[in-house]
Amino acid sequence: MSDYAADKVLDLKGLPCPMPVVKMSQEIGSVDVGQIIEVHTTDPGSLSDFPAWAETSGNEVLGSEQGEFIKIFIKRNN
Amino acid sequence: MEAKLKQELIETFGERLTKAAKMYLDNCSRCGLCIEACHAYASSPETRYTAVGRAQNIRRLYEEYFKKGKIAKKLNEAVELDDHWMEKVYETAYTCTGCRRCMTYCPFGIDTGVIQGIAKMLLITADQEPKTLTMLADMSIAKAKTIEKTKENFAAAAKNLEAEVLQRWRSEGGEEVVPLDVQDANVLYVALAGKHSIIPAAAIMNAAKEKWSLSYFEAVNFGAFVGNPAKTKEIAGRIIEEAKRLNIKEVVICECGTAYRVMKHMSGEKPFKVITFAELIARYVEQGRIKLDKSKLPAKVTYHDPCQIARQGGIYEQPRYVLGQLTDNFVEMTPNRQANWCCGGGGGLVAMGEKDFRMKSAKVKADQVKATGAEVLCTACENCHTQLSDLNEHYGLGVKVEYLSDLTAKALVQD
Repeated sequence: MSDYAADKVLDLKGLPCPMPVVKMSQEIGSVDVGQIIEVHTTDPGSLSDFPAWAETSGNEVLGSEQGEFIKIFIKRNN
Repeated sequence: MEAKLKQELIETFGERLTKAAKMYLDNCSRCGLCIEACHAYASSPETRYTAVGRAQNIRRLYEEYFKKGKIAKKLNEAVELDDHWMEKVYETAYTCTGCRRCMTYCPFGIDTGVIQGIAKMLLITADQEPKTLTMLADMSIAKAKTIEKTKENFAAAAKNLEAEVLQRWRSEGGEEVVPLDVQDANVLYVALAGKHSIIPAAAIMNAAKEKWSLSYFEAVNFGAFVGNPAKTKEIAGRIIEEAKRLNIKEVVICECGTAYRVMKHMSGEKPFKVITFAELIARYVEQGRIKLDKSKLPAKVTYHDPCQIARQGGIYEQPRYVLGQLTDNFVEMTPNRQANWCCGGGGGLVAMGEKDFRMKSAKVKADQVKATGAEVLCTACENCHTQLSDLNEHYGLGVKVEYLSDLTAKALVQD
């Protein structure tokens, strides 16, 4: 069970390089500042990519969960 | 266009005028041999989609700002740099995939990549480059700083891949299935973000009993796609430092053509060798370190040479050698090897989207694949794989697009 209440869920499972980050950067504007996107992915690299992307875009990775697939919770900050 | 920006652009242009660049800009005889060499022109015959057409957009600026003589300028159609001409500069940079097929037909060997590099740098200076590519390059650079905080999660994700790797190759007990941080490893395998770029490779290297380590970084270099040499160097530098820290013998680049070209040919001297994963598989087969079962691949198979590892890297025969061990039902596409048609997805176009242009400009590739009658289209580059999959869907080619690594992993024979 997640600690974060997502405002939007993005299913990015199985996408080729570099589409998960590209899609995320396109979708972040679809939620309001302060809202949370829950990303579903199968890419191990996303666990490093999304924090680095958040660092450069001024957004925030709140946390992640690993199970059948990876969930990453991203808060829009600007 | 503001005078200050114009001056900055002219200075940027001047900084890119190496001896080679001047030779390529000075020496075109307008013979036209490059025209039909371009997949974009062959698919959609417009002058702007020719190598010479794209180069002229830059050459005419060169005539204006870096050549002397009023008559020569007039004869050579010198133009002033303005907002309209920057649109032409954009066309030069981003209607070309950098496949360099045109270069092989040019009697002077004019490297369009160098001219395209000037165009890309002008766009960066004018803040008109595709922002997606810059965003991805900046993300890769930031990762060098954030990696210490994310290593643990990445390691956990790598551990979670074990079951899928073991389905392809049952390792002996006690061995790390997806090892990280292996000091003095023979191989540092640099993957992409997706698990499809890790699982088959892990199975193959484990089957070969390789001492290997998975890199924490992604292989692809978006600094190169956007044409920023400083960013390209910084992104490659993360992997070079990791390989040095672990005292690696060989850095093996996953199925990503640009990543290979940057690490092998654009990153200076390094204390390790750089090879493609296709070469490593070929070596394992040749040395008898892995055995492959041909019955796993009964379908008719063809192979697409990725431009960055084939025409620009000379890796033609190793993938074919591996395919020869995977099937007796292989058919070449025509033309192939050095003359192969580009898939149309390189140069950053896949990351940028650009689907209409990618489909329009690669009809010749679709026709080439269809003519083989193959059921399986194999390649060894993720960018090509994505573009070929899009072409498959768009043109109804009816093929299954596969990675060489995945076909190999599925055919591993376990005694």
